[in-house]
Amino acid sequence: MLKISNLHASVEEKTIIKGLDLEIGPGEVHAIMGPNGAGKSTLGYVLSGRDGYEVSDGTVELNGKDLLDLDVEERAREGLFLAFQYPVEIPGVSNMEFMKESVNAMREQRGEEPLTAAEFLKKAKEACKQVQLPLDFLKRGVNEGFSGGEKKRNEIMQMILLEPSLCILDESDSGLDVDALQVVADGVNSQRNDKRSFIVVTHYQRLLDYIKPDFVHILADGKIVKSGDASLALEVEKNGYAFLGKKYEESEA
Amino acid sequence: MSQWLEQVIDNAQDVSDFLSSQRKKSLAALQEQGWPGKRAEQWRFTPLTSVEKRKAIKAKVTDEPAVPQIDKLDTIDLVFADGKLVTDISELSLPKGLKIKSLKKAGDDEQAAIKSIFAKIKPARHTFGLVNDAVAKQGVFIDVAAGAKIKPVVRVLNLSTQTGDAHTRVLVRLGEAAKLTVMEHGEGSADSLTTAFAEYSIADHAHLEHYRFALFTGKAKQIGGSHFKLGEEASLNSTLVGYGSELSRLDIDVWHAGEHANAKMNAIYLLAEGELFDLHTTLEHAVPNGTSEENARGIVGDGARAVFNGRIHIHRDAQKTLAELNNRNLLLSRRSLINTKPELEIYADDVKCAHGATVAEIDDTALYYMLSRGIPRSKALVMLNFGFIQELVTQIPKEAIADWLLPKLSERFSQMEVK
Repeated sequence: MLKISNLHASVEEKTIIKGLDLEIGPGEVHAIMGPNGAGKSTLGYVLSGRDGYEVSDGTVELNGKDLLDLDVEERAREGLFLAFQYPVEIPGVSNMEFMKESVNAMREQRGEEPLTAAEFLKKAKEACKQVQLPLDFLKRGVNEGFSGGEKKRNEIMQMILLEPSLCILDESDSGLDVDALQVVADGVNSQRNDKRSFIVVTHYQRLLDYIKPDFVHILADGKIVKSGDASLALEVEKNGYAFLGKKYEESEA
Repeated sequence: MSQWLEQVIDNAQDVSDFLSSQRKKSLAALQEQGWPGKRAEQWRFTPLTSVEKRKAIKAKVTDEPAVPQIDKLDTIDLVFADGKLVTDISELSLPKGLKIKSLKKAGDDEQAAIKSIFAKIKPARHTFGLVNDAVAKQGVFIDVAAGAKIKPVVRVLNLSTQTGDAHTRVLVRLGEAAKLTVMEHGEGSADSLTTAFAEYSIADHAHLEHYRFALFTGKAKQIGGSHFKLGEEASLNSTLVGYGSELSRLDIDVWHAGEHANAKMNAIYLLAEGELFDLHTTLEHAVPNGTSEENARGIVGDGARAVFNGRIHIHRDAQKTLAELNNRNLLLSRRSLINTKPELEIYADDVKCAHGATVAEIDDTALYYMLSRGIPRSKALVMLNFGFIQELVTQIPKEAIADWLLPKLSERFSQMEVK
C-alpha cells in the first residue's frame, strides 16, 4: 500500500527527514511517535505534497504509484488523507460546499457520478452525527470559529466522507479532552477495515489506548530509530525518549 | 493640450441642435479646464496616454453587431453600434407609461425635458463628460410617467467593433413614484474610444434599478459615467461590473437632492493581465436623512491595475445621514496593483458614516488545505477567492441577471492565473 524508501526532505533548506524507510500494508495501523522536532508533522506534509517541503532523495509509492510525482490534489484523489494538526479556517466557504466538492472530486476519480446536493446532504448529516457535531456546523464557514476539539472532529468527519485508502492523523489528539478524544477515536476505529491503512502521528501514548496500533515506530532526527508493537508505546510512556541518547533525556513522553 | 482634444473641440463646432447652448457652455468649460495633466487628482493613477495622441475620428459603422442576450429576461434593447443608434425606436412596442425618443427625433415637450436633465445632473468636473456634452449627438431620452411601473428592462447597449471614437448619451426621467430598470451594457475590443454618459432624474418616491456592465476589453477604451439625482424618498439600487481594458474609467455620482432618499450600490471588477479599470464614485448628501451604502469589490490579476476612489460628501445641512462605503480587493500576484482611496468629507455633525478599504492576497494555507482534499486547483481558487464577489452577485434583485452574470464572472476568474 505505502512504501517509503530512504526519504530525505527539507524545509527552507533545512533537512528534516534524513533517510526514512517505512512500509505499510493494507489495513494496518502504524503509530509514529517521537520527541518534538523529530520530523513527525513534516512527514505528513511531505507525503501530502505541501509547497515548500522539498524531497531531495528517496521514493514513495502509494498503491504502486510514484506519489512524489503527483500534485497535492492528485495525491488526495489517489486516496491519501491528512488530518491536520491545525485545521485551516476558511471563512466564506461553507463546510458543506467544501466537503461536497472534495467528495465529488474523489467520485470523479473513481469514475462515479457526482452526488446531488440532496444525496450529499444525507451523507454529510450522518457523518456529522457520527462525530457528534451539531448539524449547523455544515453551514458554517470551514472551521470558522470552531474550537480546537470541533476542528479535530471536523477532520474526522471529512475522513469518513472521503473514504481514503491511507489516512495520516497528525496529532489528532492534541488539545482534546477525554470525551473529545473518545469521539475522534471512535470515528477512526469505525473506519478501520482490511484495506484502509492509518499512520497515527502522536507525541503521547494516550491516543494509542483508544486507537490500537499494529506497529509503533519511533521517529528521531528524521529517521525511524526503533520499531515494535504496541508495547513499545508503553515503554516510551514509562521511560520517555531517554533511550535515544543524552540529547533526549529531558524530553518527556 | 492633447491632439485628440484639439480635434474634438474642432469637431464640436459643427454640432448644432436644440442642446447647442448647453453644448457651448460645456465646450467653454472644457477649453478652460484643458487636458488633464499628470497632476490632475482625478487622473492621478490612470494615464491618458492612449487617448492623448489619438486621432479624433468617428468609428465607421458597418454591420450591426450581435447583441448579447440574457435568458429569461424581458428587455427593450436600444443599441448603439460604434456610437450610432441602430435601433428603430418607432418599431418598439413600449408598455404604457414608458416613452423613448432618440435625441434627434425629440419633439418640443421632450426637448424641454431633455434640457432640464442634460448636463444638469452630471457634475462639470468630468472632463470627458464635457467632451460628451459637446459632441454626443447620438443619444436617447427615456421617460417614465408618474406612477408607471415598467416591467421590461430597458437595455442601452454600446457595442464597439470598429476603430474610432463613439460618443453616446442617455437621459432618463422617472416621474413621481415611477419604477424602472435600466441596464447600460458596453462591450467590445476594437481599438476604439467610447464616451458613454447617462443622467438620471429620479423624482420623489420613484425607484430606479440600475445596472452598468462595462465589459470592454483589449484596446477598447471607455470613459463614461452614470449620474443620479434622487428626489424625496426616491431610491436607487445599482450594480456596476467592470472588466479592464487598455483604459476603462467610470465616474458615478449619486446626488441626494431630496430627503429620505436611499442609494445602494454594489460594484464588481475583475481584471486580467495588462488591464486597467478605474472607478470613481461620489455620494453627494446635500440634504438630511439620506442613506447610502456602497460596496466595491475587485480581483486584480497579474500585471493588472485597479483604481478605486470612493468619496462621501456630506453637506452641512445633511444631518442624520447614514453612509457606508467599503472597498475590498484581492491581488493575484505581486505584479497586481490597486490604488484605493476612500474619502470622507463631512460638514454635518449628526451623521453616521463608515468607510474602509482592504487589500488581500491569495491565502496559500487555505489553498493547500483545499487541494489536500482533492479539490481541483482552479475550482479551489474560485471557491476561496470568488466568494466575496459572488456575495454581491447574489444581491442582484433580478435573478435572471444574476444567473447570467455569475458564470460569466466565474469563467473569467478561473482563466486568470495566480502567481
